[in-house]
Amino acid sequence: MSAAFADTLADLVGSAYCFAGADRGPFVVEGRTPCAVVFPGTIEETSRVVRAAAAAGVPIIPWGGGTQMALGAPPRDGALVVVTRRLARLVEHEPGDLTATVEAGVTMDALQAALGARGQWVSLDPPFPARATVGGVLATNASGPRRHLYGTARDVAIGIRVVGADGALIRGGGKVVKNVAGYDLVKLYIGSLGTLGLIVEVTLKLRPRPEADRACWALFPGLAPAAAAVAAVLGSDLLPHSVELLDEEATAACAAATDVQGVPGAAGLLLGFDGLPTTVAWQLGEAARLLGAAGAIRVVPLDPALGPRLLAFAREIHAAVPEPLAVAKVALVPTRVGPYAADCAAAARAAGLRLLTAAHAGAGVATLVLTPGDGVPPGTATTAKTLAGLRERARALGGQLVVEWAPLAVKEEVAVWDEPGAAIRLMAGIKAQLDPQGIMNPGRFVGGL
Amino acid sequence: MALSETDRRRLRQAFEGIVGPGAVLTDPDERLVYESDGLTIFRATADLIVFPRSTEEVAACVRLANTENLPFVARGAGTGLAGGCLPTAGGVVIALTRMTRILEIDLENQLAVVEPGLVNLHLSQALAPRGCYYAPDPSSQLACTIGGNVANNSGGPHTLKYGVTTNHVVGLEVVLPDGEVVWLGGRLREPLGYDLVGVFVGSEGTFGIVTKVVVRIVRRPQAVKTILAVFDMLDHASRTVAAITARGLTPAALEMIDQITIQAVEDAFGAGYPRDAAAALLIELDGLAAGLDDEAERVIAACRDNGAREVRVARDDAERELLWKGRKAAFGAYGRVSPAYFVMDGVIPRTRLPEVLRRVDAIVAAHGLRVGNVFHAGDGNLHPNILYDPRRPGEEARVLAAGAEIMRVCVEAGGTITGEHGIGIEKQDFMPWIFSDDDLRVMAAVKAAFNPTGRCNPGKIFPTAKSCVPGELAYRPHPIEERGLAQRL
Repeated sequence: MSAAFADTLADLVGSAYCFAGADRGPFVVEGRTPCAVVFPGTIEETSRVVRAAAAAGVPIIPWGGGTQMALGAPPRDGALVVVTRRLARLVEHEPGDLTATVEAGVTMDALQAALGARGQWVSLDPPFPARATVGGVLATNASGPRRHLYGTARDVAIGIRVVGADGALIRGGGKVVKNVAGYDLVKLYIGSLGTLGLIVEVTLKLRPRPEADRACWALFPGLAPAAAAVAAVLGSDLLPHSVELLDEEATAACAAATDVQGVPGAAGLLLGFDGLPTTVAWQLGEAARLLGAAGAIRVVPLDPALGPRLLAFAREIHAAVPEPLAVAKVALVPTRVGPYAADCAAAARAAGLRLLTAAHAGAGVATLVLTPGDGVPPGTATTAKTLAGLRERARALGGQLVVEWAPLAVKEEVAVWDEPGAAIRLMAGIKAQLDPQGIMNPGRFVGGL
Repeated sequence: MALSETDRRRLRQAFEGIVGPGAVLTDPDERLVYESDGLTIFRATADLIVFPRSTEEVAACVRLANTENLPFVARGAGTGLAGGCLPTAGGVVIALTRMTRILEIDLENQLAVVEPGLVNLHLSQALAPRGCYYAPDPSSQLACTIGGNVANNSGGPHTLKYGVTTNHVVGLEVVLPDGEVVWLGGRLREPLGYDLVGVFVGSEGTFGIVTKVVVRIVRRPQAVKTILAVFDMLDHASRTVAAITARGLTPAALEMIDQITIQAVEDAFGAGYPRDAAAALLIELDGLAAGLDDEAERVIAACRDNGAREVRVARDDAERELLWKGRKAAFGAYGRVSPAYFVMDGVIPRTRLPEVLRRVDAIVAAHGLRVGNVFHAGDGNLHPNILYDPRRPGEEARVLAAGAEIMRVCVEAGGTITGEHGIGIEKQDFMPWIFSDDDLRVMAAVKAAFNPTGRCNPGKIFPTAKSCVPGELAYRPHPIEERGLAQRL
């Protein structure tokens, strides 16, 4: 980093909020060290920082809560990490309109607490809410079990402000829940991993907090009957907010972690219901009946304190294992999830490894955690080969697999992102238009964008 | 762009070679039908209208248009209300009305794959025997097409609870403006890379032509209750809207209808709305039977607490359908009270509803006109319909002026200039009211990635006013100016 650029940064954010020495340590990602780490205090400051970086030709790495920094290809060495932590204001909350505008550095927990004080919430439950920021959740399109009923970030974000690659502040969407003025840039920035701009502010549509929220936990003799029970639930009048299917390994780990009863070799199904107490009670009863008829060994309505713990476990399955070999996210059509998970568990065992799978079964999105088996921990080659096999199986079923986390050596042997198909041409075109210099989180995303 | 007769004949033959004889219109009388959409104040004549039957034919038409340097625009049922499918630069209208098939229904995965010319209601009707439906329900759903819904990100009364078109589209097969066929998204609920489906939906036909749509289908709710609340003052009705939301209730639909509209509807159909009411709210609750009575009680209480003089719950499907007929056929009923009407579309935060409605009334009166309001009050999406007589000199200009003032009020209240109908031609010059030059520049850049030549549906969305950005934002006279109805100051 040139001395001139270092001076500029210190001038823009204040030297207390500019790390250029050993204090960069926590912001090293996969061995790549940033030239500096800055913590702008306002949206305007953020804009000026990006403008300065663009002028100096220094790439930008946006950083929210840091919960997913290893997603994608490793960052460039010598880039500028821009941390949004100090963009922490709840700008506006209008309960009568069921909308709120929040700066990107607010954590999900902090946001929900502020909204909850007025009896409302935003219907997003991504992993690690104590650390994950609103901006980061949108940039990675992170989601949790409640996506089954409530959708994902694209279904709740109605407005966005972004610092573009040239430092300009760009607005997409607006502050109202119906809006078709111009192109839907909100959708473009969601899930773009900061490659088109740095998210600094989001407007969300909200919901009234449900009066009741309860979950039930069912155990099945194996994945196949559990998956069949999922189909029965989806074809019924039940309106669960979460439908989490756990394979045998994940079920055993869940039981151990949360003190619910497990049964050896059982697969688990976790259903969550919210709304009026009468409807939640009706659904718990109906679910017990339906799951019993579908062959459940046991169906347990969980008390209000335990339900959230199991949902959190499923949501953060990747944290269930102390030293995973790799974490993958797979998308399939829902009917293929059960057979896929069973097939992959067998394949992992055959390779001497173990696989824990937790799936949002109605959406067809599963998180797979690969861990060592009982023997000697495998080398890079075995892990990479197994991952490649999981991806092949997903593709054979019309799905796709993304490696959400793996050691660098493994990522060098297995492509992190799956193939985007012919649409990559359009994506590359949009990237070239919005970031011609290629400074926004370059080289980390799908197709090398 | 004036085609010579020789050129027109040659092109007719060339397009017939793609779509077959009889599937190309070039006669002036035939082309007349396609010169406007539902907003008849704007007209533009195409040089040819073609009717492809397949993705391959659409792609071939687009490639031929490119070869001949002809602008082209897709058209569904032409029910749009912003002039979005008007061939303002001439060229070819590519009508999708022969592509109406449901290609696949996958109930277990809650998906269907359909062709773009399929009428919205026909999809739900086809799904009905399986207990499912397609949720986005624009009031024009008897005629509008899924492809058109995608282009406009269409809404409807039930989008309050269920979301708009973009929340129900998972994949799109698209013919890009250069003729290449590409899939955006597919059947998976997790996009890989940029959400191209999300940015394509609502792009008003400027990014390409949709040839297949993968839609999400949902199960019919277990139970439904439809409630009509009658008010003696418009203000009471609008305050009730915010009150319902404030009590933590999420109706499936919450529509407001004013007196002029009620009277027109009663004259035309006799839907059972009281003619002397100042306003009515049509409220629909759906979900599990176990909770519906409780929810209905709360809604009724909110209505009474805010001055409802009568609250009626539909006793059966027939009553429910009649109440909805009154709402959905309202636009058609205006013919009883006025030779023409200008449908507006603006959005405001719910809490500003009482005040904005009063201002709309004042603006319309100040221009010597009348207005009928029938709209999605639950999400603040206004449809003030300005009633006028196009034969009276100067009336059209006053309508457009009143419309612009109403849009201004919406923007000033923190809202936006279109909730459902799109920008099209009608509102392109209002875009700078809500977007900066930088915002518009980014939108133009995204468009350039899809439509670099600008041949695909030119002249839409972006302002026609002079701007420092070349190309897309260069000055062009607005159709209103061309017809001598308004002047640029």
